[in-house]
Amino acid sequence: MSYCVNCGVELEASLKECPLCNTPVINPKQPYPIAGSGPYPSSKGQVEVVKRKDLGILLSVVLSATSITCFLLNLFVFKNSLWSFLVIGICICLFFFAFPAVIYTKTPVYAALLADGVAVGLYLYLITFLTTTATARWFWQLGLPIVISVTALIELFTLLAHKFPFSVLTGSLYFFIEVPVFCVTLELLIKRFCHVPYRITWSAVVLTVCVIIDITLITIIAKKRLRNEVRRRLHF
Amino acid sequence: MSISDKKKTASFKNKREVWYKLDLSAIVYPTLQRKDFSSVYRLSALMKEEIEPVLLQKALDMTLPRFPTYKVAIRKGLFWRYLEPNNRPGPFVTPDIKNPCMPMPFKANNRYLLRVYYYGRRISLEAHHCLGDGTGGMCVLQTLIAVYLKLQGHSVTPSGFVLDIDEMPDPEELEDAYMRYANARVRPPRPGEKTYRVSGTKEPFYTLNIIDGIMSVKEVMAVARKYDATLTEYINAVLLYALLQKQENDAPYKIRPVKIAMPVNLRRFFPSRTLRNFITMVYPSIDPRLGDYTFEEIVEQVHHYMKYYISEKFLRGDITTNAATQRNPVIRVVPLFIKDFVVRTFYTKVQDKNSSAGLTNMGALKVPEDMKPYIERFDIYMGQPFSSRTNCAIISFEDILTINFASSIVETDVECNFFRKLVQDGIHVKVESNREIRY
Repeated sequence: MSYCVNCGVELEASLKECPLCNTPVINPKQPYPIAGSGPYPSSKGQVEVVKRKDLGILLSVVLSATSITCFLLNLFVFKNSLWSFLVIGICICLFFFAFPAVIYTKTPVYAALLADGVAVGLYLYLITFLTTTATARWFWQLGLPIVISVTALIELFTLLAHKFPFSVLTGSLYFFIEVPVFCVTLELLIKRFCHVPYRITWSAVVLTVCVIIDITLITIIAKKRLRNEVRRRLHF
Repeated sequence: MSISDKKKTASFKNKREVWYKLDLSAIVYPTLQRKDFSSVYRLSALMKEEIEPVLLQKALDMTLPRFPTYKVAIRKGLFWRYLEPNNRPGPFVTPDIKNPCMPMPFKANNRYLLRVYYYGRRISLEAHHCLGDGTGGMCVLQTLIAVYLKLQGHSVTPSGFVLDIDEMPDPEELEDAYMRYANARVRPPRPGEKTYRVSGTKEPFYTLNIIDGIMSVKEVMAVARKYDATLTEYINAVLLYALLQKQENDAPYKIRPVKIAMPVNLRRFFPSRTLRNFITMVYPSIDPRLGDYTFEEIVEQVHHYMKYYISEKFLRGDITTNAATQRNPVIRVVPLFIKDFVVRTFYTKVQDKNSSAGLTNMGALKVPEDMKPYIERFDIYMGQPFSSRTNCAIISFEDILTINFASSIVETDVECNFFRKLVQDGIHVKVESNREIRY
């Protein structure tokens, strides 16, 4: 039987320190604590992962049924073009978007976002394949680079949100850094596609506005007093 | 059991279209459900012999059908959630874990909203608060223990919390008793004042720190009598005292009132056999901005507060205020997701900030005479607090009083101040804990 010298409470035999004040138990008559089970088990429990199996099955069935019926309709009734491939493409994209949320919830978020980007890219290629007879230049020079840059920026946002403390203010900062990057990239891609000399115009306006917002946000985040003031005035 | 009773039981079991509206309190708890938070409480009984898991499972399978509002799953409707009978396999008894009251996702555990654990000599029941309050949970636990003892060959006569599993559930056990008594002619406003919030370092997910203080009921009663207070008033005063000390050390420049949220069992005032929620909150408080309070003054204030507010009239008014929102036809037709958003925001911004700690007292527990020799003590845990604070729960059985603290912060200042005050008052306290050894 040991007592905490600091709190005066009797301590349960398996305790090696007082749970109230962390004072170690030193019992000269019993230098080594009694080995054995304490009042609580040592293994932690885990919350059971909820399988959204039903929703996954329902989603897969609806998307497959849509794809198959449209394909059959295209094959036997409205035969003038391969329009059903566009519907099937949309269904595949939706499946990719929903996969990490309802079917395999352990999918790493970066892999899921990459898969979404790949799905959209392939869908754009499908459109190009079905509609463009002469050239697929718009896909290679405009569609694909835009999809790649959007995917990369979303991945970067997710990485920053995971690696650094996230709040409305830091989230806004990341957003307003990425928006001008995207706008400048978009304008340069459009200029390249239209064979116009590389010169940023409208995206420069977006860039300026975002730089002002970014400087303001950095100042607010850096100064605790300002941060608290903003939180106090803008809380909802 | 008579033939007519058997027929009734059969018809009850065959009735497939049974479902239950959530009671007035239960509406709030599922709304607060998060990935890392559920309103789950735990009741434990420490037996005198090792638990036999196979028998316990058998006892659970036999007991649960007697409690139709506990053998349920929660479902979403367009306007409200509801409970529907759950005939999936389970719930299954499992070895106990270090982190009790862990979140309870509605779709996990075969959709059951209760869990039964065993560890050494201890049987623990965890239930989601939307099923019922501590009194209802205690009925389930004690009936389970009685059936378990019967399976071991002992004889137990059902009485008090122990119900006869061969009997039909009384319709009154399933009722939403709030609605029967929410008939005051005035709706007193809810208290809404910002109070002192315990600050601390948040523990990682899946951690619930527990500290149990075990003491003699007679000793505590004697000390409480010295202050001209009841046991509950005295413990309340000690907790307020501990919180005041914590505030003084942490934020002496930003003093706020210290308030305790204490559930009151309404069955004491409004006769009902319901096994569902039938509690309301009272908030004994001390405002240190008015001056420094001595411990004697705190006890006196708590004593007068309890005498004044815990009365049938005030409680009826309180129930009526709470019921008014549910009765309002405009609110009733608002879709569930909007209600969820509004209730969650109100709870986070107002209700949760309305108290500094939670304290519940289950009181002196009675068990049937023939069950007494097999039980050593009971424990009760209010579960994971919604925000970073400490919840305290008291229960006594024979001469053993157990005070159980549950918190999800690293610091133990409130618990430390609390138990030190009891020791100063001459009470012998034995402490148990599940906290990690830090060296």
